[in-house]
Formats: sequence, C-alpha cells, structure tokens
Amino acid sequence: MRGGVTALFIATGLATAPAQAAEPWNIPHERQAVLKGRVVDALCQLKGRCTPDCGGGKRQLGLVLSDGMFRLVAKSNIDFAGATTDLSPYCGREIEADGLLIENPAVTLFFVQRLRERPDQDWIAAERFKADFEAKNGKAEEWWRADPEANRIIAADGPFGIKDLQPKPKP
Amino acid sequence: MTILSQVRRRALLSTAFAGLLAAAVPASAQQSGQRVTVTGEISDSWCTISGLMFAKGTAHHQCAVWCALGGIPVAIRDANGNLYLILKIGDDEDSAGNPRVAKLATHEVTVDGELLERDGVKYLLVDRIADDKGVITMTHEEHGIQPFGN
Repeated sequence: MRGGVTALFIATGLATAPAQAAEPWNIPHERQAVLKGRVVDALCQLKGRCTPDCGGGKRQLGLVLSDGMFRLVAKSNIDFAGATTDLSPYCGREIEADGLLIENPAVTLFFVQRLRERPDQDWIAAERFKADFEAKNGKAEEWWRADPEANRIIAADGPFGIKDLQPKPKP
Repeated sequence: MTILSQVRRRALLSTAFAGLLAAAVPASAQQSGQRVTVTGEISDSWCTISGLMFAKGTAHHQCAVWCALGGIPVAIRDANGNLYLILKIGDDEDSAGNPRVAKLATHEVTVDGELLERDGVKYLLVDRIADDKGVITMTHEEHGIQPFGN
C-alpha cells in the first residue's frame, strides 16, 4: 500500500513523501506529506491574539508554510489525541512534520505522525501526549478510559450524553 | 500499531487524491471575519472526516468527549455538512483539551460568532452559545457506542 501511494505521487509530479513516509490510513482525501513550517497557534495566526508560548498547550496549533499557507495540525499518533502536546515545545520554530494531509471538502487537516527540526536529526514520533498523560495520571493502556476528566463527564452525563439514557445490559 | 489503525484498515480508500491539484493561495494573518449564526452538532473534527466510525449523536458522544479532551479540534457540523472549527467560546480561548468544550460533545447548539476562512478551513470564534438543546440525535440503537461498543 505505502509503495503504491508513493508511486502515485511520483507519477503525478507532486511527491512530497521521503523514502520512509507516513503510514497511510486509507482516509478519504488523505495524502502523505512532509510539511515544513513555523509552529504557531491558530488564534494568534488568524486574529493576532498571541501568547509567548502559543497558548501553553491549550490552543490549537499549526504550521505556517513558506508560501504563507496555514495548516492546522489536528491529530497526533496517539489515539483520540491532538498534536498540541507535540508541537508546543517548538512554538515559533521551524520544523518538519511527516504525516497525512487530509483535504476533505469540509475541512483540511494535518495528521502528524513524526517530526523533527532539521533534516540531519532523527524523526521523533508524535506520541508525546501519552507520555505527558502518564506522567500526570499514571500508566494507562488506554489513556481515554483512565482520564479523570473524561470519566467525570461520562459519569455525570452518561455514555450517550443523556443522563437517564444508559446502555442496555449485555446478555 | 494503534487500536484505531487496525480499525481504519477496514475503511474505504475512496477519492484519496481529490483536491491534490488545488492551488495554494496564501492569505494574510489577522483577518477580519464575518458575523455568523451557526446551528449544528458539536463534534470532533477527526472522527467526522476520518470515516472510521459513525460520528454523530448519542452513539458518538463518549468518543467525542475523549477526542475533545485529547485536544483534537472541536467543530460544529451544520445540516449541510460544513465544519466550523471552534477556536474560542466567549472569553475562553482554550481550544485544546478544554473540559468546558468536552461537556458540549454531540450537543445541538446555535452559536453567534465570527467566521474566518483560511486555506480550506472554516474557523469560528464563538461569542455566545445562543441555544443548547443537549444531545438530540439518537443513533445508539443502530450504531451502539462508537468505536468499541463500550
């Protein structure tokens, strides 16, 4: 699959993937891409409402590419987790991000799988969210089921988001 | 390999390269937006576009809570399928992993705010939530609890 996708990009003259490219997920409108750009927070980039640390991990982040295009980095390599934790340490700096650009007609998002600051550096897996989570909450096979805030919300509102609506017991 | 990467192997590879030739048009920073009122379901952007699960209503509530707390951009999906990524609500400018936003997962809301469009994304700066009907789209009977069934 990976080889086929790469071959197609080369054939179209738009290859952006290196020899070891991001793993395809077979998501509609996805393509492998390495984005090179400066890490910024979206609210700062769009409205000029900036903080020195790109929001300190609490704002959506993205990359401003050399042509001025802004790509929001929405997903990391951890299930159910965004990329803010991975990008925050690079606030204001240039990085390379290897992943999947998803150009859905409704929204264009980037799913980062690994990143680095310079071509001579090793790639760093975009998996910092889990390490940070476990540093705060202890080791968890599935962070989402161990997250205290998630469990508070689901306990209060139910898994369907309606207080009195509960799943039927399994036979 | 992640759990969801196993799930996604069953996903269809459809028009994967649509938009590949779209022109890149740089835009200036600090845009002036358009005043809008948007009605739709609060949803996480990743599940909505990935097609890996049924990302609507009661079936998707728990997953949407997880994604919102995990920092995936939260959006409002309107009846036409437009996605508006929320960058703030009122004075609260925390758009990544915000419990207040996670509590709204899969709610049907009407909001007033400022719309900014940039490079294929509609960003929404919400001034106020004018209406919150809670979760009203009942999908769990057909789809269970997405994506794992519990």
